Amino acid sequence: MLTNLYNYRELLKSNVKKEIRGKYKGSFLGVLWSFINPLLQVLVYAIVFPYIMRVKTPNYLQYLITGIIPWTFFTTVLTQGMITVRMNAGILKKVYFPREILPISVALSGLVNFFISCIIILIFCLFGGIGISWHILLLPLVAFIQFVFSLGLILALSAINIYIKDTEYIVQFIINMIFYATPILYPTSLFPENFRWILYLNPMAGIIDLYRNIFIYHEFSGFQTLAYVGGVSLLFFAVGLLIFRKLEKGFAEEL
Amino acid sequence: MANEYSIVVKNMTKKFKVYYDKPNTLKERLVFWARNKADYRVVLDDINLTIKKGETVALIGVNGSGKSTLLKLMTKIIYPNKGTVKTYGKLTSLLELGAGFHDDFTGRENIYFNASIFGLTRKEIDQKIDKIIAFSELEDFIDNPIRTYSSGMYMRLAFSVAINVDADILLIDEILAVGDQHFQDKCFDKLEELKKSGKTIVIVSHSSESIKRLCDRAIWIQNGKIEADGKTSSVLDEYLKVCG
Repeated sequence: MLTNLYNYRELLKSNVKKEIRGKYKGSFLGVLWSFINPLLQVLVYAIVFPYIMRVKTPNYLQYLITGIIPWTFFTTVLTQGMITVRMNAGILKKVYFPREILPISVALSGLVNFFISCIIILIFCLFGGIGISWHILLLPLVAFIQFVFSLGLILALSAINIYIKDTEYIVQFIINMIFYATPILYPTSLFPENFRWILYLNPMAGIIDLYRNIFIYHEFSGFQTLAYVGGVSLLFFAVGLLIFRKLEKGFAEEL
Repeated sequence: MANEYSIVVKNMTKKFKVYYDKPNTLKERLVFWARNKADYRVVLDDINLTIKKGETVALIGVNGSGKSTLLKLMTKIIYPNKGTVKTYGKLTSLLELGAGFHDDFTGRENIYFNASIFGLTRKEIDQKIDKIIAFSELEDFIDNPIRTYSSGMYMRLAFSVAINVDADILLIDEILAVGDQHFQDKCFDKLEELKKSGKTIVIVSHSSESIKRLCDRAIWIQNGKIEADGKTSSVLDEYLKVCG
């Protein structure tokens, strides 16, 4: 698989570029929207939660932004990734190329976008008086784990979506639900200690915690979390690839 | 063995599902699961076929006989239900021209898109781009968006990319009628040149004229089975006697 992908690296590259530029093509602000969107979201929550819901978390603005930007990375990859095979039906029916290039380029473009968005997080941390520490060196590792996790998901979902077209709507709903089940807007300390592990079954909870350790708390105590999310991500990737492999042979006929 | 052959098809059967009213959503699958007993139509039935390196082969047969399906199976766009299709060497298919073309991009950019789908790297495309543009004779328009192209120009560009990919195996489906007489002659010359340089070429065509000119061997497919296989002129005569 890897040599095959290597041979088709030019296609992968131009596809990633197309994913990044193509999404907001024609709009006045273009690619900037992928950064403005999460910022606007942060703005809304930063007003709603402290003042209306009276959530009291120190550095709430930074707390929000370190949650929402990784979450945006996750949801954009998922929503775009699920439909990527269906959207490329025309070309799938005409030529052979390694099909996994499609989900991989969606996940890669998400990763690139995320790294750029991290500049926004850093700006907020710097001006919020939190500063930056060497822990930022761990950022690529955590981002890579998230990349592997979401790639596994979209490998499976994009393939299943060809056979059962409801998948994208069901998943869209589940994403919206999980948003509230992930400690993005609220701290986990809201929950009694013996129930917290349920929250952390969701790998995104652990992943966002790790980002916060890096950006806000400047500590690295999460070896257990890291091992768990790393393991789950690899498992999802393996299963996702297996499903994709099994289903890709029928793409051209089912589309 | 692997060195001698380009394409080896063994006991290969391909069936297509026949849908009367394709139930696709989860609801329909759940509600109509009993109704969803798919019928299958056998398109290719237990095909055995070997094509040696350097051969130029024509697939002939009436519409719906399974020629194009066989080509698609060789390209790995679709997969057989039974048996195997193996190809040895880099393969390019000209099943449909202009895969991955984007109307808003220029001809030059589209050469890059299209060629990358065929598995070329940037460096390889850089080396070939002048050759491709020269072959298409679109020098004056190459930096215009291709939505401004006429359909003939579009086809010329697409054909020029595909034919310059430098594959070992070339699969061509009914696209020899590209452009005007001048360009068609040029395509034939190019195909003959490729043939001489030892490439394997498989062509699906209804034009006995061009088949006779290019191919040494013809395979007649009738109702999913190989009806005749041999020298172009004799297979073609047989075919025309029955179906002509």
